[in-house]
Amino acid sequence: MKLTELQEDNPARLFQGEASGRAFVVPAALRRMLPLLAAIAALLVLFSLWVPQGRFLTAANLLDLTQQISVNAILAFGLTLVILIGGIDLSVGAVVAVAGVVSVSLLNTAGPVAGCLGGLGVAVLFGAANGLFAARTLMPPFIITLATMLIARGVALGFNESRPLPIGDNQHLFLALGNARWGGWLPMPVVIMFAVFLVTALLLHGTRFGQHLFAIGGNREAARFTGIPIARHEVIVYALCGACAGLAGMIHASQLYSAEPAAGQGFELTAIAAVVVGGTSFSGGIGSIPGTLLGAIIIGILDKGLNQAGVHFSLQYIVKGAVILAAVWYDVRRRNRKL
Amino acid sequence: MTRTNATHAPLLELRGISKRFGGVQALDRVDFTLQAGEIHVLLGENGAGKSTLIKIIGGILRPDAGEIRFQNAPVQIRNVAVAEQLGIRLIHQELALAPNLSIAENLFLGREPSRFGLLDRRRMVAEAERLRAELGLPEMGDVRARVGELNVARQQLVEIARALAGQLRILVLDEPTAALSEAETEALFAKLRRLRAQGVGIIYISHRLEEISRIADRITVLRDGRSIGTQCATDLDIHQLIRWMVGRELKGRYPRPPYQPGKVILSVRGLQAPGVRGVSFDVREGEVLGFAGLVGAGRTDLARALAGLAPLRGGEILLDGRPLWLRSPQDARTAGIALVPEDRKREGLVMTQTVGFNLALPWTHLWARGFPPDHARRAAIIEKALRSFAIKPGSPDLGIQTLSGGNQQKVVVAKWMEQPPRVLILDEPTRGVDVGAREEMFAIIGRLVARQMAVLLISSDLPEVMNLSHRLALYRDGCIVRQGFATDFTPEEVMMELTGAAAGAQSEAHDGSPAQERLPHV
Repeated sequence: MKLTELQEDNPARLFQGEASGRAFVVPAALRRMLPLLAAIAALLVLFSLWVPQGRFLTAANLLDLTQQISVNAILAFGLTLVILIGGIDLSVGAVVAVAGVVSVSLLNTAGPVAGCLGGLGVAVLFGAANGLFAARTLMPPFIITLATMLIARGVALGFNESRPLPIGDNQHLFLALGNARWGGWLPMPVVIMFAVFLVTALLLHGTRFGQHLFAIGGNREAARFTGIPIARHEVIVYALCGACAGLAGMIHASQLYSAEPAAGQGFELTAIAAVVVGGTSFSGGIGSIPGTLLGAIIIGILDKGLNQAGVHFSLQYIVKGAVILAAVWYDVRRRNRKL
Repeated sequence: MTRTNATHAPLLELRGISKRFGGVQALDRVDFTLQAGEIHVLLGENGAGKSTLIKIIGGILRPDAGEIRFQNAPVQIRNVAVAEQLGIRLIHQELALAPNLSIAENLFLGREPSRFGLLDRRRMVAEAERLRAELGLPEMGDVRARVGELNVARQQLVEIARALAGQLRILVLDEPTAALSEAETEALFAKLRRLRAQGVGIIYISHRLEEISRIADRITVLRDGRSIGTQCATDLDIHQLIRWMVGRELKGRYPRPPYQPGKVILSVRGLQAPGVRGVSFDVREGEVLGFAGLVGAGRTDLARALAGLAPLRGGEILLDGRPLWLRSPQDARTAGIALVPEDRKREGLVMTQTVGFNLALPWTHLWARGFPPDHARRAAIIEKALRSFAIKPGSPDLGIQTLSGGNQQKVVVAKWMEQPPRVLILDEPTRGVDVGAREEMFAIIGRLVARQMAVLLISSDLPEVMNLSHRLALYRDGCIVRQGFATDFTPEEVMMELTGAAAGAQSEAHDGSPAQERLPHV
């Protein structure tokens, strides 16, 4: 009886939707994207009707939108890797501020190259420290990065007596990071966001390293038994997340024409929201970089749309909270039905 | 010359391997040899040391003493990587797969094909398909399917396929057929025979005696960490194997409580619940009903159902002749059914808290009804429990984790006794406790029974469950295969039933389907 059952087992019937198609992750990943794409379409329609005088759905407005989401998206790409392996990094918002003040103060004293390297370097250091603590101690990442968040904030506030550090008008290169337009129209932060998107997406979805991150998040023991160097991978992932925060911090400073020691407060939470709305499982093992991009876009549209529609800011918070709840609830339900 | 030498020397030889965990001698000077091209079955009761032995072979544990020789040369299997290099692959009892990845991705985990640093998914799928065809595992299914969506049997096939990929000299399987159907088992056996023909040495751990005659070349029995003996399949003597397995003196150390049964308290009729497939039994006041079975027979599922922890799906439960439908642990408790769970650290105790906290926890409705809480009442509850169960040390403010395993277990039992339940379910009450604490636990069972409590005793220790129980229910695959007075059974008989050897023999006699014969209640 069991035997005939097995012989009749037709993979296409058993694994509906997985049938045919040459690559095996892309179609599944695409299917996961569909609800997000639908949500984006729905939001665009909603706000184009709601925002008066058709001011929402214009090319200039949408370009402005992509510019506004770029910093959050860059943070979220790094965080996706961390959350995917079952970790969390609360320090990214504070690292945005540290990277800003370090790069700008070096910029004004030692030149643009030193500024950029310094800003990125200090951010990678914070990330690597998070990773080392997470990999080598039993401390939970939430607590580790809560502590390094406070430390990073303290470091940032220690610069220039906590006052903003203005960027010299002659720092064209650094100011271009946040304000130049590539080809005369595409904001530079958006260009950088796409570059980071491509690099992280390729890393996660196209390399052995990325494959191992999925394995670590899915079943740490199995990953260990197959000889994957978990500790090393963990340090690299947190360091990459730090690098993303550093890049975001410099763009943010450039956009503001000054490095603010108090910058980036709460950025970590908006970035986490983008990651989870984008379908990454908080318990690890499931997620994607394209999903995170769509998640960041959804959060961005909500922000801008509600603003332009004239919704009171208190109500904006409530709506955003409700949207995050709904998105994650839908995702969890769908996943449970499948497994 | 050297070649003939190599073929005659054993592929793997263990000499005098010992391993101790704390106070327990898990392995005591074990000798074991494995030839190339043989299937060597390792047999033994739970806790006999089989798992420890194979973990040493697989580089997961290191022996305290003894020598390992591989192809006649001494080796140190320091870690999993060394074992893999030697071509030793373990298939664990618990599956070690990433559920979020596809079959192909799991097969190549840690050795993914890549080109210019980029993952070559197309080749991965193609090689997985090739591997599947080559290994004759079509049942594995679409290699692009996510492993988490497969049933356990298919996951097991994936695990086997992963072990078979690449250089393989020694394959160790720990109860691989536990979750497989008859057809799947036969497919696995065919595969193992093919590997044997290719010169792979296979160590096969099983409880199921019926499988031995089908697959084994040699059988080694372990008991209490010692190798008792080895048989060749050509002169197989099942009865001797069973004697080797149960071997030790069964009488004397176990004081069976005097049997003074009262009226029937609990009647279970055709109970259906997750893992429970139509169970019926009665238990009386002052009676110990033992559930004998192998690990994985599903006795814990029954315990959970009776404690209101699992949804009931059918059948009925009568308490004092009145129907009782359990929806929650609260229902069970109100009815007077208490469970001492199998995993005391996870399910029985709040490990971060004190002895007193744990003892007082079930009785908050007595001492913390209003404000302020009745500290005197709480202290009295704790004091009574500590004293009547002789819990040592008897200080309520000590952290529970500072107590020995035996005393922790006494706390789990004692915490129910402020208002004693009528039916007490003990799930493996002596697991992980030392000899002295075992005897104390036996004495406690005797005292509870003398107070007309009904005790359901689940134990995988055969001598224990046979000698403490008044009546015995033999449990296999989610149902009771046989029940009767404990004194009417011999250990050999029980072992035959529990391992399925009896059903196997029966089905051969009837010339019927073994799969159906294995399920007496269906």
